[in-house]
Amino acid sequence: MQQLLTTVLTGLTLGVIYAAFALALVLIWRATRIVNFAQAPMAMITTYIALVLIDAGYSYWLGFVAALLSGLVLGAVVERFVVRFVSGKSEVNAVILTLGLFIVLHALAAIIFGSRYRSFPAPFGLRGFQVGDTTIALTGFGVFTILAVGVVMVGLVLLFRGTDLGLRMRASAFNQEVSRLLGVKVGRMLTLGWALAALVGSLSGLLIAGGGLVHPSYMDGVVVYGFVAAVLGGLDSPVGAVVGGVLLGLSLSLVSGYVGSELVPLAALVILMVVLLLKPGGLFASVRERRV
Amino acid sequence: MGYIDISMVSYSLPDGRPLLDEVSFRVGEGSTTALIGANGAGKTTLLRTISGLVKAQAGTVTLDGRALTGMSTEDLPGLGLAHVPEGRGVLAELTVEENLRLGALGARPRSNTAALTRVYELFPVLAERKNKLAHVLSGGERQMLVIGRALLSRPKVLLLDEPSLGLAPKIVVQIFELLRDLVRDDGLTVLLVEQNARSALSIADHGVVLNLGKVVVRDDAATLAGDDALRHAYLGF
Repeated sequence: MQQLLTTVLTGLTLGVIYAAFALALVLIWRATRIVNFAQAPMAMITTYIALVLIDAGYSYWLGFVAALLSGLVLGAVVERFVVRFVSGKSEVNAVILTLGLFIVLHALAAIIFGSRYRSFPAPFGLRGFQVGDTTIALTGFGVFTILAVGVVMVGLVLLFRGTDLGLRMRASAFNQEVSRLLGVKVGRMLTLGWALAALVGSLSGLLIAGGGLVHPSYMDGVVVYGFVAAVLGGLDSPVGAVVGGVLLGLSLSLVSGYVGSELVPLAALVILMVVLLLKPGGLFASVRERRV
Repeated sequence: MGYIDISMVSYSLPDGRPLLDEVSFRVGEGSTTALIGANGAGKTTLLRTISGLVKAQAGTVTLDGRALTGMSTEDLPGLGLAHVPEGRGVLAELTVEENLRLGALGARPRSNTAALTRVYELFPVLAERKNKLAHVLSGGERQMLVIGRALLSRPKVLLLDEPSLGLAPKIVVQIFELLRDLVRDDGLTVLLVEQNARSALSIADHGVVLNLGKVVVRDDAATLAGDDALRHAYLGF
């Protein structure tokens, strides 16, 4: 019983991080039909920015906010000055572009921040809470992780469902031409979409780094799980990304706890295969047709 | 105010095939002009040129004397131009009310809730389904939605591309009567692209016949409808 609880709690904490990363992928895919392979190194760069500030003696929270804000800026810059140039061309161009960006950002990080392992602090305890005389797997930082991702999700829902800006962003994601005819400045919405996605990506970078080690490729493993989570949810659906992330975190944690941790990457791919075989559009596939 | 001058507009595809060839005519304010012609005559391309979705290689388009050529599409609703594209352009993933709100956001200054209420009075079926996804609407309801959405941007000029496409004749009559009323009561200017030439000419004041990218005839709608030779040659009824 205690092992099950431990496994579930670990899975939940991990799952919300996958969910955040998947959400970042989905926000960009929905708006521009691009899988942003550079999402991981972008989050890595912003985490390094936080680390530099923290190592310089500033508080964790200043570093945290700086990383999120630089994510916002980095996302906007990447859309406006890199991705914009291949818009309207074949989607393969954009995919290769983000792969190139992946390599460039890696190299830049190694040059600027060095490629050695550096430890990243956590603002809350990394020890499990005590219940009676047993220790459960939920740590202070774990609670913070779940809350932080939760706050971001609620914020995004409020933005997309409750504001005019969110309505314009959703319209641009669904049909750029009709949106432009209705006076929506689609270019700006895309920049903003990338900025928001990179902010969510940065959050996942900070949460993975917390209490662990940071080096230029520390986020790369997350790409696979984040991508699987996004596809599980249907790639088009932000809610799907979140549910997919949590489900994946829980399943992988169960595999790791009861079968063996060396099977986790394999399990992720098996889950992906099974879902795609049974429901090719993902668990949250929408019924609408997409015009070409 | 609300007139459009199209002057010597030409557009060719990259392979050199001309879609529009020195097209010129005026869409007078407070009236309906029907732009008719066979498939591939260039009607849709002309509308897309007016709203900047297609950049003409030559010629100018002005709205109330102000050049639209070179302006960006997204600025046009604010100037009083609404374009309902072919295939209707319903945002099916959004609710009916969200579609309408987008129309209201395009107006300068934006339209208020009274304007929204008026659209709901005009189309009670939209009010009944305002919280449903536009996906579930029928063809006729979708046409009402896009016209209502366009009206919420408070246009001086409304460009309509094939509003009768795929609709039952009864619905077409209903929509055309509504357009006629809007022109008569609100002073709206309408440029109506139609393959259904007979219905279009029956509510229009003026008609322009386009063939292979060229204007072949411009005249009063009634005269065009009564010209047997022209009807046989270009309009197919």
